Amino acid sequence: MPTQEEVRLVVPATPEFLRLARVTATGLASRLGFSYDDVEDLRLAIDELCFALIGSKGKEGTVSLRYAMPEGALEIEGAARFAGSAPGDPAPVLSELSKQILGALVDDYDVFVANGGEPSFRLRKARPEER
Amino acid sequence: MTFDAGQREELRRKFAQFAESRDPKLRDELIEAHLGLAEYLARRFSNRGEPLDDLVQVASVGLLKAVDRFDPERAVEFSTYATHTIVGELKRHFRDKGWAVRAPRRMQELYLRLGKIVSSLSQELGRSPTIPELAAEAQVSEEEVLEALEAGQAYRFASLDAPSPGDEDGDSMGSHLGQEDAGMVDAEHRAALSPLIAKLPPREQTILHLRFFDGLTQSEIASRLGISQMHVSRLLARSLAQLRAAAEE
Repeated sequence: MPTQEEVRLVVPATPEFLRLARVTATGLASRLGFSYDDVEDLRLAIDELCFALIGSKGKEGTVSLRYAMPEGALEIEGAARFAGSAPGDPAPVLSELSKQILGALVDDYDVFVANGGEPSFRLRKARPEER
Repeated sequence: MTFDAGQREELRRKFAQFAESRDPKLRDELIEAHLGLAEYLARRFSNRGEPLDDLVQVASVGLLKAVDRFDPERAVEFSTYATHTIVGELKRHFRDKGWAVRAPRRMQELYLRLGKIVSSLSQELGRSPTIPELAAEAQVSEEEVLEALEAGQAYRFASLDAPSPGDEDGDSMGSHLGQEDAGMVDAEHRAALSPLIAKLPPREQTILHLRFFDGLTQSEIASRLGISQMHVSRLLARSLAQLRAAAEE
């Protein structure tokens, strides 16, 4: 049976739990042979995107993260579910500065509203030799 | 800290007066009389990787709140009440910085050691080392390396007076500031993209620009500016957190 290399994590939507989102990501990045430079960039990128969903102080709710490793790259998707949020809530907005920052940190990223109405992001970072 | 019976009586009288008058001069006197308590409590948190001066500041804020909120009618000594408030303030301070209170000292030490290893290995290999390479050099597991880097997150937000991991011993971040800087770039360009960036200290603006606009890696920035890569990491993380907070205001 082929194993699908995928990790899922659900954390409260508050800053102190984003630590777990980062540790999981850096653990997988290390497994993929990312350099220290890349690991540190990944950490910054996750913060930038997660905080875009939950705001700098966090919200009541959860962030669900899905980590996948297709072909030596790390792909992360995050979706926030807040108490009292409803379908039709606006998509998370990235400032021009955030876009500039993320463009330098990862190979690809996006923020959007998922089908279920959750504010979401995805990012992709490949190993240097795959880029 | 202890007061004799006469001093205690005097303080009780002042608290009763202050409860009535809210006189700022009395308030100052009451605060000053208990600064020793704030410092004593700050000291008890000083083995957690934060400079004592910062902690005394935090404890003083707690003391201030305690003086303002203390109700002398209640059958509790001020020192008991204030201890509770000050310790609460100190704990909140650490909690706001992440999980620093729970980050074991061993991890903080490993973080500092890794700073030096990152520098030396990068030089030796001519590229940024991988996590397994760092683990092998430090003779710890990969998990411990990752945990230490994460524990360093709290340390990243520490005061400018804290030593910078991987830099020369005893060299503090403050001594790097204000130096003539080859990497300094046009401030107006940055300001155009975000007025928020312009509010950061010049060195942090430079690092931000080199990383996100010029596309240099963290290690390239470190060698260009002559500081450790962990220092660059730490400044970037802090700048981004500041920018996010400022953008929400």
